[in-house]
Amino acid sequence: MTVEEGRKTTSGVARPAGAGAARARHAVASIGRATFLAAVAGFFALPLLWLATAPFDAHPTITASVPEFTLGNFRALLDNPYVLSSLGNSVLQAAGSAVLVVVLAALAAYALSRVRIPGRDALLYVLLLLSSVVTGTAAMVPIFELATRLNLVDTHLGVVLTLSGGLLPAAIFILKDFMDATPTSYEESARVFGASPLQILWHIVVPVVRPGLATIAVWAVASVWGSFLTPFILLRDPEKSPGAVILYTLYTEGGSPRLDLISTFSLLYSLPVVLMYVFVSRKYGFRFHGGIKR
Amino acid sequence: MISLHGLTKEFPGGVRAVDALDLEIADGEFFALLGPSGCGKTTLLRTIAGLETPTSGSVTIGSADVTALPPGRRDVAMVFQDYALFPHMDVTANIAYPLRIKKVPRAEREDKAAATAARLSLSELLARRPGQLSGGQQQRVALARAIACHPTVFLFDEPLSNLDARMRLEARTFLKRLQRELAVTTVFVTHDQSEALAMADRIAVMSAGRIMQVGTPSEVFQRPSSTFVASFIGSTPMNLLPGVVQDGALRVAGAVLPLPEGLAEGEEIVYGLRPEYMDLSCSAREDAFAGRVSVVENLGTSFLVTLEVGSGTRTGTGEHLVQAVVPEDAEPAPGAAAWAVPRHPRALVYRDGGLVAA
Repeated sequence: MTVEEGRKTTSGVARPAGAGAARARHAVASIGRATFLAAVAGFFALPLLWLATAPFDAHPTITASVPEFTLGNFRALLDNPYVLSSLGNSVLQAAGSAVLVVVLAALAAYALSRVRIPGRDALLYVLLLLSSVVTGTAAMVPIFELATRLNLVDTHLGVVLTLSGGLLPAAIFILKDFMDATPTSYEESARVFGASPLQILWHIVVPVVRPGLATIAVWAVASVWGSFLTPFILLRDPEKSPGAVILYTLYTEGGSPRLDLISTFSLLYSLPVVLMYVFVSRKYGFRFHGGIKR
Repeated sequence: MISLHGLTKEFPGGVRAVDALDLEIADGEFFALLGPSGCGKTTLLRTIAGLETPTSGSVTIGSADVTALPPGRRDVAMVFQDYALFPHMDVTANIAYPLRIKKVPRAEREDKAAATAARLSLSELLARRPGQLSGGQQQRVALARAIACHPTVFLFDEPLSNLDARMRLEARTFLKRLQRELAVTTVFVTHDQSEALAMADRIAVMSAGRIMQVGTPSEVFQRPSSTFVASFIGSTPMNLLPGVVQDGALRVAGAVLPLPEGLAEGEEIVYGLRPEYMDLSCSAREDAFAGRVSVVENLGTSFLVTLEVGSGTRTGTGEHLVQAVVPEDAEPAPGAAAWAVPRHPRALVYRDGGLVAA
């Protein structure tokens, strides 16, 4: 701000004749920019505003408005026996998938980054292409068939494995970039001191690529948290269903949405993810530098 | 003692980085592998460390054949060119890392790390991360980490190349003193001949995967065994001039010089003499290179004078450049006529690239 003002005054001193016009033009441009940004921000803020107000409104509609304050919606929501357990299921499935994806992707990316295999890049691209198919709608019938034969239908494990399978290729792809950017001299140095491959991975590689691992974990949790189709198809028992599926059941017998329950549940459903982002960015939102002289 | 026998390392694609190499390095020796980039010196060092597996040949450290052993079981410590300090560990943890691998209890290894750090005046920095250290400090931490595991062999890959010029001179003296104190066999790789001459007990000059000459710094400096070594060693490049044996004398770029033993009439040779062993005269002499001063470079306490010689002279060998180092206040003006007088005892004569007489 001060820099901007400083520049304005100096240019005013330098060119007194055009200064007034330039200042006016500048002001109009500023107002225009601010208006545009406010409109864009409002467009994205309104749904969030709705999410913040509707749960506390006795008669919520699909517009954001000053609520007739009540906590009754929460009481009504908790009368639904599946609501709290569904959030527990979401945590279980998201955490399970994140752990599986991070561990497997780290091992695979490390190997792919350090070992020269012919056709390595082609393999990665094919995997990446297939990943969108695995958890996509097109593959749902074969996946259901496979899960049935493996007795994985109606189990958390089935959901975790299917979702992880879909996330792994992209996770490997991203982590391989992190691994490629890590100088091999770290590992060679540890090797000369007698460290075993697993010690090198655990002592050196994992801490160095930790920001990458944190990114993958957050991304995996957020993806699983929001995925609907796979758990909807693979889980029969509403007691095992995650939040995304339970949200879909909050309708009246007539098929119209219960906005009071939906908005309240949406708020509860989004809080854990928001908290996770805050926690992770506090804890891992930095990178290590140094140790390699460039 | 380190001995290498018939060591060959061939990379996929047929590049022979190390070619049937034999070498013995004595206990406690400070040994330099010197050569231009791409000559295979770093590959050789990595093969001794075990980071590269030789295509053929053997590596023996002490009395044990370690050719098939992994790096961690060779009892060597290596300092990498980029130091490779672990960025997520503080200085203590970095220095103690080799001991952590050897399962030394935490308290004991931290004591040892602190003692080693104190020796390298790093005590103030124990809690810092590598990113918070200067280049010279990082180098000392890397050295401390290597020392802490008490290896039988140190391997240094270009240990000074990442330091600025002044730090490099300090680190050179420091490194040499440290090696004397520890008396551990040390092999270091460098492309800087002055570094090798200053620090090493013995030097192996390498080119294209082979060793061209092994010797003490004085031997390599005073009697380079080939024109390659002659041109590579020395901070001012050696004068290498083609000549011919004629009428019982050497005729080189217009000068008539005494004939050393072992040369036959009519043989073509290369006459080598360092600029430091060349004197400038202002009067014409038969046994000197007559020429015109083209460039005068200030070296501080002396001057490097470049003469253009040999153009249109009796031997008709064409134009050559001859360099001489003259003391300060004795430098000629550019464009002046001058005669470069070789000090004969220092002259070297090469035939087909190899030393025949000196």
